[in-house]
Amino acid sequence: MGLSFGSVLRRGVLAGMLAGLAAAVVIWLVVEPVIRRALVIEDRRGMHGGQAAGLPMHGGEEPLVSRAAQVVGGAVTAVIVGVAVGVVFAVVFARLRDRLPGSGDFGRALVLAAIGFAAVSLLPALKIPANPPAVGDPSTVGRRTMLYAVTLLLGVAIAVVVPALDRRLAGRVMAPSTRWALDVVAVVLLVGLVMAFVPGTPDQVPADVPADLVWDFRLASLAQLAALWLTLGLTFGLLLERAGAARNDDVRADTGAPVSA
Amino acid sequence: MTTVASAPAAPSVSAVRVPVWAWALLAFAVFALYFVSQENGALLSAPAAQMLHELTHDARHALGVPCH
Repeated sequence: MGLSFGSVLRRGVLAGMLAGLAAAVVIWLVVEPVIRRALVIEDRRGMHGGQAAGLPMHGGEEPLVSRAAQVVGGAVTAVIVGVAVGVVFAVVFARLRDRLPGSGDFGRALVLAAIGFAAVSLLPALKIPANPPAVGDPSTVGRRTMLYAVTLLLGVAIAVVVPALDRRLAGRVMAPSTRWALDVVAVVLLVGLVMAFVPGTPDQVPADVPADLVWDFRLASLAQLAALWLTLGLTFGLLLERAGAARNDDVRADTGAPVSA
Repeated sequence: MTTVASAPAAPSVSAVRVPVWAWALLAFAVFALYFVSQENGALLSAPAAQMLHELTHDARHALGVPCH
């Protein structure tokens, strides 16, 4: 008897919640300080009538939601995102468990988390990088959103196509190292095509936003996304591995090698 | 990490049977992700969408989705 879907899903939800909490902590410690620096710039524009000059501004004069509520709301949002990603992760993991590389459920969970991070977080972040407040031009948000979504879907497509190619190659007799090398070439080629042919953001960073603020924000954003995926993969894998050890079934049936990455 | 995975003839681990409702759940989770990260008035009334945007604002920036 294998693993039931319910036990996989429960662990996905729990791991997702923990991943969301980890992301919320990173937002609070790393992202919020950078957002505060950006809001100072927005405020300065407000004082100098920047809105008239066509610079990106936030809402009107009266804030709809206080800063404190935005900080709390951001943390709650991070947890909701974590749980939703955890659910998707659990379903995909259950479907692909027998095909994922890695020894043991822990290894497989880390592999899937790494692929998820690369496909739906890192690739869009490289093509349409995150921006702090005071940068985005509201009139281009539709186009930027479209490009972001296209890049994300292409990332998922690469994550589907390359393993399919790998199975193809496995059909012919070929040394594993050769196949591995061809897989890597395929990833580099496809990512290169996406980077070259999907148009970049139409926005220009306004002159009053320092370059190091933008860099710090993008780094902070990636740190937060990495924290989310890493926590998800680690906790999901640990929870599943422990479940397997407790039930003592497929751990033994596995390829044998203990988890040593 | 690759060599184990790819022996197609011998699946060393049992697959997990995924019930049909799981795909509906997955669709709902994806919808929830859209809702908190992108919803700006396509489904909600303008004031409600504005409120949602402001509440999720910091996380939207941090997640790197185009915000405004």
